[in-house]
Amino acid sequence: MEDIVGMGIASDLLAKPGVIAVGEYAYRGDRFSYRGALTEEYARMASIMCRATTMGANMEGAMFEALRSGSGLHPPRGWVVHGPAHTVCVVANMFCLLDNTKASINDIVGFMCRELASVTPDMI
Amino acid sequence: MTKLDDLMKLPGAMAAFEFRGSGELLEQRIAYPDRIDESILDLLAHMCAANMSIATMQARGWEKVTTMKGFYPVQEFTLIGFDWSVVVSGLHREQYKQAGKFSLPPFMGVVMANDKADYEAAFTILEQQESGQ
Repeated sequence: MEDIVGMGIASDLLAKPGVIAVGEYAYRGDRFSYRGALTEEYARMASIMCRATTMGANMEGAMFEALRSGSGLHPPRGWVVHGPAHTVCVVANMFCLLDNTKASINDIVGFMCRELASVTPDMI
Repeated sequence: MTKLDDLMKLPGAMAAFEFRGSGELLEQRIAYPDRIDESILDLLAHMCAANMSIATMQARGWEKVTTMKGFYPVQEFTLIGFDWSVVVSGLHREQYKQAGKFSLPPFMGVVMANDKADYEAAFTILEQQESGQ
């Protein structure tokens, strides 16, 4: 397991209620790192899925920008998938796996957006 | 009072909309017509339909491969833009499917300004049963 850029934030996230695991993936290539209750293989798979969706979201943001400049959606900061028991929060190139019964999604999204605001999408 | 009107009461709500599973915009409320119009919402609805399908595929696959449960069915997908977020839900469609109904209700979504966005409140409204269902 290898740190890439911002795994210092992972410790803060893991200390929050309901955070099961935190990971970081490279926008390009297959490097990733993670903390928490995932196996390395599952973290690798999660990183690939998160990267794919992030790339799609960025393509969509660029399409919005082309249609209407300054629409407020471009460039995307991240995305959230909310399931019945678990939620995946992704901001920039970090993902966070949450237990819905314990985690505050507003708190986690707000924290990630603040802490990762300086991560530019230049590498996408 | 419809659920679209309830969504427009959320802090920072800029628009609320309904769309088919194939992405076509059906109905909308727009708070700032100078910033969001039907053309923007139509493209957004098509993107949200695609994102919901991809998220559902990934949740299904993740549960099958890892045996971790609680991701499927996807209740909401949220795209966090630079200044705005959009939250969409297909939960009621899933409930109709599980009840064996073939005619499914539309997806619903809300666009909110990030500085005021309350994602959990949006989820709560989107997950509420419509009266008469």
